[in-house]
Amino acid sequence: MGQLITLLRTDLVQRLRDKSVIIFAVIVPMALMGAMNLVMGDAMDMELETATVAVSAPEGDQLAAALVQSLPEIGLDVEVTETGAKDVQARAESGDARLALVIPDGFSAALMAGEPVEVTAIRGDGAGLESSVVLAVVQGFLDRAGASAVATAAGAALGLPPAQLGGLAQQVATGDSAITLVSGETSDEQLDPKGALVAGQAGLFLMFTVSFGVLGLLAERELGTLSRLRSMPMNPVLVVLSKVLSSFVLGVVATSILLTAGGLLFGVDFGSPVPVAALIVCAVIATTSLTFIVIKLAKTSEQASIIQTILAMVLGIAGGAFFPMSGGGLLGTILDLNPVAAMIRGLGITSGGGGLGDIVTPVLIMLGFAAVALLIARVVPDRGAMA
Amino acid sequence: MTQTAEQQKHTSTGQDVLVVDGLVRRFGDLTAVADVSFRIAPGETYGLLGPNGAGKTTTISMIAGLLEADEGSVTVVGQPMGPTKVAPKRHLGLVPQDLAIYPDLSARENLTFFGRLQGLSGGGLRARVAEVLELTGLTDRAKGPTKEFSGGMKRRLNIGIGLLHQPTLLILDEPTVGVDPQSRNAILESVENLSGEGMAVLYTTHYMEEAERLCDRIGIIDSGTLQAEGTRDELIRLIGGVDNIQLTAAGDTEAAAEALRALPPVARVDADRGRLQLTVHDAPTAVAQIVTTATASGLQLSDVQISRPNLESVFLHLTGKALRD
Repeated sequence: MGQLITLLRTDLVQRLRDKSVIIFAVIVPMALMGAMNLVMGDAMDMELETATVAVSAPEGDQLAAALVQSLPEIGLDVEVTETGAKDVQARAESGDARLALVIPDGFSAALMAGEPVEVTAIRGDGAGLESSVVLAVVQGFLDRAGASAVATAAGAALGLPPAQLGGLAQQVATGDSAITLVSGETSDEQLDPKGALVAGQAGLFLMFTVSFGVLGLLAERELGTLSRLRSMPMNPVLVVLSKVLSSFVLGVVATSILLTAGGLLFGVDFGSPVPVAALIVCAVIATTSLTFIVIKLAKTSEQASIIQTILAMVLGIAGGAFFPMSGGGLLGTILDLNPVAAMIRGLGITSGGGGLGDIVTPVLIMLGFAAVALLIARVVPDRGAMA
Repeated sequence: MTQTAEQQKHTSTGQDVLVVDGLVRRFGDLTAVADVSFRIAPGETYGLLGPNGAGKTTTISMIAGLLEADEGSVTVVGQPMGPTKVAPKRHLGLVPQDLAIYPDLSARENLTFFGRLQGLSGGGLRARVAEVLELTGLTDRAKGPTKEFSGGMKRRLNIGIGLLHQPTLLILDEPTVGVDPQSRNAILESVENLSGEGMAVLYTTHYMEEAERLCDRIGIIDSGTLQAEGTRDELIRLIGGVDNIQLTAAGDTEAAAEALRALPPVARVDADRGRLQLTVHDAPTAVAQIVTTATASGLQLSDVQISRPNLESVFLHLTGKALRD
């Protein structure tokens, strides 16, 4: 145990003096996060703005009035201005309104008679997601009103009295649906784009950070110190173990710094420290387990760098380090088993208030990944530094 | 292998620090070491002398437990050695041919690190590190990173690490390769002092002068096989007390060589780019006849040198090639 601590301590001292690990594991990812935030800042800012809507509606038309009144109640900030038909288009063109609606005369009568009716929508400059939502609401209103007209016509054909026809039309237009859709979510809350950026970059660079252990072992061989270490009165496995532990320590420290600093800089709250720490440790275990395979495959530091870079890029990109990845079937399952994806998903759960009990799935994915990697490392023939 | 009487006597002592018995190591179709056996007694300095590629480093790698032997065994202080063995390695100090120090650490940190791995600790470790720094002349530079050291300083530290835990057996694998003359002499003096302190030393080299100066006994190795072993005098006796004469001349050296080979005192003649290397019996008596014959063969002599036999002669005699081939 004393020899293992001595090996580990000396390795970490050299890594810190070398400074490359600090640059590559902390400074570069922070800089990259900052650059990506600058480039994609607006795209990542998902705050919806106020939807300014100019509406031209015929006076005294009940359904047109109902439509206009429903707009401010859709859950967004909607600012409705009623004006004349000519002014509506001018407002949209000038940018005073992001959306203009022209409701034709005889709107209610046409709807109730089941006749075609055309509401004109004009998207102004800068119309964004908010305008699309308003348009979807208008479309929904028209669909229900149309359904109401069809129901009324059907009732009349069946000989229902006018009083009942009015009730039927009212029920179809405003009543709740008999069909209920129940939707589920994989977690209580997913990371917002900035949170996903910080978590993704932390996961990606974790893959690079843990590679310093393998590179350290190969550096020992290139320095000639590996021969001397193997002549020391200790189990040669301790040399490999110290490098893996070194990777683990560097991975935990670097990822913790990235998540903490990234969270502060980008205003992301990843949630309770304990489950976040558990996720970090499991992610580092999963990625460090890959170093056992690389140690057996790489004969030189160049080979190790190439293998580790390929693994980092494949797992990082597939895990959503740059943008969310999703897929169905086998592809979706493979993507789900990625430790980077599991860490990001876990951080999404903790950021939504999830605790240790809620992150069991991502934790099991990461530990399972580590177990499989270790199994592969056992059966891969050793042609690396220790061969 | 040729064994001297003294060497045969030596094998029966039973108190050896190192016993190497029938070592064989193959790399694919190449047999790098073929049936090498020798022993080293306490306080003895044993030299493995051979050219590059002779199998010295492979032999040492098996002795130090870095490499598994295909056949044969190594015993250090009575304990079998192997890559996973721990106990025999406590008695071993290895100075690899290539530098084996950490450039970002200071000399003191390097020594302390390897001392801890050897089981030293506390005040004992600190005292021993100070002693070795003094011994290697690095006390004044103990705190600076070794990447700023000269080649000679790095070599001295490399040896100091091997000595740190005062091993029973110190293995030095060509420690003077690439070293300036001053540092080389300092290294040789250090090794001489070690044997005086009772440490057994296994020293590999392809420099004949180093083997002659340092080693109590010498094993001559070539093509993975131990050709002969014994003291310097015993080895020289193997070639029958012959001397060397070197002629430097202009003219047809090949024709002259043919004429010289016919002379009775001449045992061997090698011609090489204006030089003739002769192995002769009783050189002082034969030299006049040799010079006469060479001149008669049309050579214009510019220099004649007579030398007593040395390990180079022995190696040439045993293998048919020079040590530096």
